[in-house]
Amino acid sequence: MTVQTLDAKTFIQMVLAGARHLKNNADKIDALNVFPVPDGDTGTNMNLSMTSGANEVKKIANDDVSEVAQAFANGLLMGARGNSGVILSQIFRGFAKGIDNKKHLNANDLATAFDSGVKTAYKAVMKPVEGTILTVAHDAANQAVKVANREKDIVRMMEQVLQEAKSSLKRTPDLLPVLKEVGVVDSGGQGLVTIYEGFLAALKGEALPEEENEDITMDDMISAEHHKLAQDFMNTDDIEYGYCTEFMVKFEQDKLADHPFDETAFRDELSEHGDSLLVVASDDLVKVHIHAEYPGDVLTIGQRYGSLINMKIENMREQHTAIVGKEMEKRPKETKAAYGIVTVATGSGLKSLFESLGATVVIKGGQTMNPSTKDIAEAIEKANAQNIFVLPNNKNIVMAAEQAADIADANVAVVPTQTIPQGISALLAFHPDRNLQENKDMMDNAKMQVKSGQVTYAVRDTTIDGMTIEKGHFMGIADGKIKATHQDKMETARALLADMITEDDELLTILQGEETSDSEVKQLVDHVEKTYDDVEVEIHRGNQPIYAYIFSVE
Amino acid sequence: MSIELHTNDGRISITNEVIATIAGGAAIECYGIVGMASKSQIRDGIAEILRKENFSRGVVVRQEDNHLHIDMYIIVSYGTKISEVAHNVQSQVIYNLNQSLGLDIDSVNIYIQGVRVAKD
Repeated sequence: MTVQTLDAKTFIQMVLAGARHLKNNADKIDALNVFPVPDGDTGTNMNLSMTSGANEVKKIANDDVSEVAQAFANGLLMGARGNSGVILSQIFRGFAKGIDNKKHLNANDLATAFDSGVKTAYKAVMKPVEGTILTVAHDAANQAVKVANREKDIVRMMEQVLQEAKSSLKRTPDLLPVLKEVGVVDSGGQGLVTIYEGFLAALKGEALPEEENEDITMDDMISAEHHKLAQDFMNTDDIEYGYCTEFMVKFEQDKLADHPFDETAFRDELSEHGDSLLVVASDDLVKVHIHAEYPGDVLTIGQRYGSLINMKIENMREQHTAIVGKEMEKRPKETKAAYGIVTVATGSGLKSLFESLGATVVIKGGQTMNPSTKDIAEAIEKANAQNIFVLPNNKNIVMAAEQAADIADANVAVVPTQTIPQGISALLAFHPDRNLQENKDMMDNAKMQVKSGQVTYAVRDTTIDGMTIEKGHFMGIADGKIKATHQDKMETARALLADMITEDDELLTILQGEETSDSEVKQLVDHVEKTYDDVEVEIHRGNQPIYAYIFSVE
Repeated sequence: MSIELHTNDGRISITNEVIATIAGGAAIECYGIVGMASKSQIRDGIAEILRKENFSRGVVVRQEDNHLHIDMYIIVSYGTKISEVAHNVQSQVIYNLNQSLGLDIDSVNIYIQGVRVAKD
């Protein structure tokens, strides 16, 4: 399939597909966010910005690509959130500027637009940081210009632009050291790639079948949002205006001659017929949303100015009865458990270990991939209990856990466990017959009784705690301090254990990492049994990444 | 004036100039900022864009009984969502000062001294 010219309709589809694709991936992008401030909100911010842009585009009824691009840029500007959102708004402001007054675009025009977008975006910053969304946009635009010289098919051009954007994204860690350190690609860049993916899918027509769905869900969301209050506070009988009425009027010149359209007067007139009124007008359309008791009257008023399109009338009393009914059905069934436990771990083995010990929800996460406050809040909700304990198992997650606890409806207590072994010990100390405070005290106490050790490899040369560590060597960490380093994994593990195990200790639990073989573990167990007479060894397959071994000594 | 931190091994003092430089450095990396302006623009009425080497002149560090406040005088690019840019500067400055100096800043006040229209 070849596309030589891009018209307004296709461009609208591209924008909507980009927005939808971004929305679906917002959580993933949040997880990548480490720069400039690692607050895990890039995906959310970009999604909010993009949604605002897409909403403007939806209002457009015009055949000019330039008008659509302008509306998109305006929407992005008004809704810009966060650094990436502001940058995105600039890219498309320049994009719109680059196609001034064009009705259609050919491959060359599109390349010029991409190029103009990047140029504008770079102008709004004094000191551009490379390895970010700016770099990805820049490389992609360069590719567009290069390809457009020989390629007239827009689909094939967009394919190559996307490909270059993806490779550029992969290179971001080479340009921005903090990304490399954490081992992620730039989150804003990922967002842009996601949008371009949506563009391409729409160009190829792949995402089109879902298009209608999206419109409905967007509208439903708005409706759901403002109907929600009604459901909470109202009886079905109290609904004064029974019909949620939405329609658009396409103006017709001969009717306008008799009834010139005045938005304010129109709104005032409608407001006498109901509430929750929204009127949005453009040159040739007006969109109306109203809750009215007699929707027929409202439609008649609209019809004075033109023909009615996209009508939707819903009986809210019926809906309300259905919703209230559903709530009634649902509630008695879901009796909440007295206690729920939410914890954080990565690795299939650790997950099932925690579950077997009584954890209600295990959030995937840990070193280098901290779950956000939102993830934890959702897990708390999912646990669906009156009292909930959160065991973060990592000191970087403790704060997010505490924030999540603040916003939760249930009684939430955070036991600030900093390691997996602390989490396990705390979980073992839990007893359902005790009350929340007693349990928290016991768990706090239990986590202090255990010593935690981890064996992992260094991602770069460094000097910490007076030890010089080379990249690729293994380090043994005991309760946050590096105690041993060696190029050999086994040597590191032995040295770490020598540091951790004292005469009073009786039990060593080994959590075997994803990349650690059974024979290595056996070798280590032989060593421990020979060296430490009184220590019993227990082995679990944790399958955790990054850490070859996690030790728990008590 | 300087900030003093006491540790087991002795005393660390950080001058306001250092804080201003780091805050300024963080700000100019922020998207949407095209420059720092001198705080004393009232004198001549025109926001003067400071050169890189003295952008700390556009940053005022104030200490009020153990609380740190920073005032920043910035120039932003026309056509950006300025409120959001200002907000981004605040969070970036707070984060950077916390990362590099371990300081908690009580407030970062942004004064937008000018809007610059980019030349095409």
